[in-house]
Amino acid sequence: MSGTLELRGLTRVHAAGQPPALAGFTLDVPAGSCVAVLGPSGSGKSTVLRLTAGLDSPDGGSVLLDGRDLAGVPPERRGMAMVFQRPLLFPHLSVRDNVAFADRVRGVPRRQARERAEHHLELVALRGYGDRPARALSGGQEQRVALARALAAEPRVLLLDEPFSALDTTLREEMHDLLADLRVRLDPTVLLVTHDPAEADALADTVAVLDGGRLQQAGPMRELYAAPASLAVSRLLGGRTEVPGTVRDGVHSSVLGALAVPRPVPDGPGVLVVRPEAVRVTSPADPAADATGTVVRVRRRGLRALVAVEVPGPGGASVEAELATGEELPAGRTVGLVLPVADRAVVPPVDGTPSDAARSPISHG
Amino acid sequence: MSTRQRAVLLVLPALVPVAAVVGAALVSAVLLSLGLTPLVGQPELSLDAWRAAAGDLGTATRLSLGIAAAATVLAAGVGLCLALAATAVVRRSRLLGALAALTIPVPHLVGAAAIGLLLADSGFLPRLLGVAPGDWPSLVGGQWWVAVVAEYAWKESAFVALVVGSVLASRARSYDETAALLGAGRWARFRYVTLPLAAPALGVASAVTFVYTLGSYEVAALLGRPYPEPLPVMAVRLAGSIDLAVRPQAAAVAVTTAVLALAAVLLALRALRRLSAWD
Repeated sequence: MSGTLELRGLTRVHAAGQPPALAGFTLDVPAGSCVAVLGPSGSGKSTVLRLTAGLDSPDGGSVLLDGRDLAGVPPERRGMAMVFQRPLLFPHLSVRDNVAFADRVRGVPRRQARERAEHHLELVALRGYGDRPARALSGGQEQRVALARALAAEPRVLLLDEPFSALDTTLREEMHDLLADLRVRLDPTVLLVTHDPAEADALADTVAVLDGGRLQQAGPMRELYAAPASLAVSRLLGGRTEVPGTVRDGVHSSVLGALAVPRPVPDGPGVLVVRPEAVRVTSPADPAADATGTVVRVRRRGLRALVAVEVPGPGGASVEAELATGEELPAGRTVGLVLPVADRAVVPPVDGTPSDAARSPISHG
Repeated sequence: MSTRQRAVLLVLPALVPVAAVVGAALVSAVLLSLGLTPLVGQPELSLDAWRAAAGDLGTATRLSLGIAAAATVLAAGVGLCLALAATAVVRRSRLLGALAALTIPVPHLVGAAAIGLLLADSGFLPRLLGVAPGDWPSLVGGQWWVAVVAEYAWKESAFVALVVGSVLASRARSYDETAALLGAGRWARFRYVTLPLAAPALGVASAVTFVYTLGSYEVAALLGRPYPEPLPVMAVRLAGSIDLAVRPQAAAVAVTTAVLALAAVLLALRALRRLSAWD
């Protein structure tokens, strides 16, 4: 049932004279896998899905399903189903007939289609809801029905366009569990679009980070966390520590001092990034400390606290660190910082200073 | 004060004038038709006026219903097509929508005159096609009321397109895409998605068109034949007659028209309650 999807150099220009919404996007979605396209609003991630589904046609590149080029194939013949951010259940049909829709338009007899619909409603834990009108459901239930309706179409590729972002945290986690369960039972090929790194982490085998219409990096989420390829990726994944400096012979020199880099990096200017959960805060006298600085800001994050430590020097540097559970540090305290070698990463600097917009790349909408 | 009472109070300023004008007109027409408010003589309850009008009333009723039904079916069909075309993504069809909307402010009387000039046996169309007046079918004033139906259908199709188009424009596209991704081809999407979504609006617009056409006078008077007459033409002729004694008959015809229109509205509302699957 599940197919292999290949996107090759997809390019889409919405209006002449404007920068492309998507430029040369290439991605492999192996059969039975779940690949997430992660990006901020306006990064072109929904465009990826629309081009894949055939709702828009690309200005360049191609979409291949099981090796067959889908150029010119209308959406209804592509064997894909999509779940949008809004459930878009047909308001004139009951829940059961919504789920039976794909079978009905395929010419399956009504009774058989409805039986199959019941089966799919059971898959999303909505047994017994079939007779309700589509309007009489809560937001989470609506999205479950939308998912059941898409699965009932037996798509070769299931496309998910931020399907859970309108739900509250608890419901969203329930839906994540449901999707994980469905993946085990049905083994579908899933292409998911999201702006939420946690969602991508929870659901996807591979994540492709998209920014400004361009693929920044693709790989397993751990790899993106450990070794982001660019400042944009680091920021999108919640990285806040950025220390400019110079790399020579595998050593990054900055106000933090000379720090060895675990992976080979070309010589020249480079920005050291390190995730807050990797940084260890210790006493300034600790011989293991890579740098010392002053706590300038403390932010609560559940049982843990996130502290910003200002390291003095030319230009200065701010390093964010997550404290252990229950640990407290007041602002103004001088502390030592340990940056474990394996968690250091150096990315190329961007031209000019980062703008505010670039610093807060995750927006909700 | 309960919410319900407050709601009633808020509606009153709109309700009172409507009830007063329509109610007073209907009541006085009923009284007049029953001989209770004669222009001369003693008031006396009688069905004389109804009996006198009865002969032509049946023919006029059938004719009026026929014209209204034909015009409504045509307007609904053409209007739906216009709405579909105007909400399609092609820019040219947006121009089509704008052209259709331009029809709305044209008064029916002007429209009737234009249709008359176009379709009459000596009109623009036969000249353009090079058909001699004798060979041209009598569309204006003919047996089948073609020009009358055409005028109503043309004018009201723009109204239908406007109402249906506004509903489709806001919702149809995302549902259409969803249906396409579930494997529905063009026809299946129209049959199972677009049409059901448009149905409530189409139903309302058709009901309004039907009732309007049923009660409207000027187009049938201008483009129709002298006999038989549709209800409104008959009512106006009787009411304007120099024979004041036929006034009650005019009232009887007017009351018949109003009752038919009311029945049509009630039927339409009942059907719509079943149709309107959404808010």
